[in-house]
Amino acid sequence: MLEQQVIYDLRRMATRVRLNATRMVAIEGFGYLGQALSSAEIFAVLFGGGFIRRGRDRFILSPGHYVTGLYAVAAAVGLLAPEQLEAYGKDGALLEAIGTERTPVVDLVCGSLGQGLSGAIGYAIATHLAGEDRDTYAFLSDGEMEEGQVWEAAMFAAHNSSRMGRLIVVIDANNSQVDGSVDSVTTVEPLAEKWRSFGWRVAEVNGHNVLALSDAFASRSPSSEPFVVIARTEILGRMQSIPQRADGHFIKLDASLKRALITELEAALA
Amino acid sequence: MREAPYEVTLKAYGQALLELARRRPEIVCLGADLTRQTETDIFRDAMPQRFFNIGMAEANMIGIAGGLARAGHVVFVNTFGVFCTRRCFDQIVMAIAYPALNVKIVGFMPGLSSPGGPSHQAIEDVALMRALPNMMIVDPADAVEITQAVGAVADYPGPVYLRLKRGETPIIFEEDHRLDLKKAQVLSGGGRCDVCIIAAGMMIPAALAAARTLENNGVTVTVVNVPVIKPLDAATIVASAACSHIVITAENHTIIGGLGSSVAEVMAEAGLAVPLRRVGVADVFAESGSREFLFNRYGLRTQNILDAAWRGLALNRPVPVAPVVKSAPGAYDLV
Repeated sequence: MLEQQVIYDLRRMATRVRLNATRMVAIEGFGYLGQALSSAEIFAVLFGGGFIRRGRDRFILSPGHYVTGLYAVAAAVGLLAPEQLEAYGKDGALLEAIGTERTPVVDLVCGSLGQGLSGAIGYAIATHLAGEDRDTYAFLSDGEMEEGQVWEAAMFAAHNSSRMGRLIVVIDANNSQVDGSVDSVTTVEPLAEKWRSFGWRVAEVNGHNVLALSDAFASRSPSSEPFVVIARTEILGRMQSIPQRADGHFIKLDASLKRALITELEAALA
Repeated sequence: MREAPYEVTLKAYGQALLELARRRPEIVCLGADLTRQTETDIFRDAMPQRFFNIGMAEANMIGIAGGLARAGHVVFVNTFGVFCTRRCFDQIVMAIAYPALNVKIVGFMPGLSSPGGPSHQAIEDVALMRALPNMMIVDPADAVEITQAVGAVADYPGPVYLRLKRGETPIIFEEDHRLDLKKAQVLSGGGRCDVCIIAAGMMIPAALAAARTLENNGVTVTVVNVPVIKPLDAATIVASAACSHIVITAENHTIIGGLGSSVAEVMAEAGLAVPLRRVGVADVFAESGSREFLFNRYGLRTQNILDAAWRGLALNRPVPVAPVVKSAPGAYDLV
């Protein structure tokens, strides 16, 4: 169990992630903000909760549309300078709207969905071959589960876990994709049963609860048994100021919504 | 160079890869349920800890290769050419070519060398790979080039598509032959001539046989071997083409997007007013059948090169007939 102060700090960091992301997306007035709103606690716990050891562990961001959340947490923990966020999405800027090979902080970010877990497995095999103490964290989204490659990779990882370093997957299950909710497009559920049947140990938690997330990541086994944390989240991140009918995949921030959202988040930090 | 009928050998690639891996600990080998067929059974048996059978999951295999390469490995990915190009094109783009990683994609059974019909015949693999920035394409002609190609592509720090004939491989070149990833090679002729034949991979024996027949009929010929289709040695090709009356490309591939197209591009950009004829698969899907049957039906024989040369030169004599080379048992059949 985490101390109350740590929980408080992680919650504030998640709010900081949302605020940073909102300010970035507000520059152009539209963008991949919902992804950062749904995943703020996941990023805060991974980067601020002592799980990803800088310079040692590897972090793979499979859905490149989530880079807004990555930049936001990277600034919150000091891996990016705050002024770097101000150039987000502008022509020629380092921080692009969808991750590329130029994206800082990550070991791999994919823009074409469903490919990150395979790359993470490559890293995890390399860790094993080198006999290194490195964990590989792979961030996936539930919409990506529609891509067959995810299941090719899941099958391989379970079968070959003894030949890989420790691999931890987290899925932001926000039930959101371009055409609407994931469950309106197809049925990817039951995710926990699917991953379990593929040979993975599964934890399923409320992805907006930093304590639940932290306990889940802390329960990773000492061995290389592949482990997935399914984090149940909401695409609008429970923000009161965003209308519930808003398209969470690609949010349009007009001046009044931007003001309202920043006010709500700043109030939470006050 | 040796003379036809060529002796054949087996597992030139598999042996070369294993020997290289013994010296280079960073080399790993991935496969997709075609271990013996891709000659990597000897690698698997000799160093199982560095061999990974990904199963029938080519997209996953390409992604894993990318992760391994990012961690510092030199990764050889092995399967049939159709499966490692068509089936996982986006993965190759995003996981290998765009980040310019040190992954060697080895595709067996090029063009119509597979009896398995269109599902197994890689007639457009070169076109697909050629469109990708950072991707080198190597199409060796014989066992000597294959052996040298393995070391050369491992030394080249970037993505490579290596296109290999499966099974019996002819020995065309002498041991002192040197493969250079930057150079096309003038195998015969050179200088002013009537016909310049530019060929790669499995079409080299037919190109050499056609050249001999043409020379015997009073037509002078230059033969250029292009083991590296990308980046193309434009200087050698333009220099050879510029002093010929007609250029003929010969490729075991569709005539769209492969060697013929590459040669056409550099000739056009150099402003050469030399007619070009492309011998290859004429923008059609083939069918099942033996190599001899398919090369005959789809125009990949020595005779097709002779016909193209004769038409291009508009000679008033009957086109010569390619001699039948009696192949000894175990020798490479010239078709």
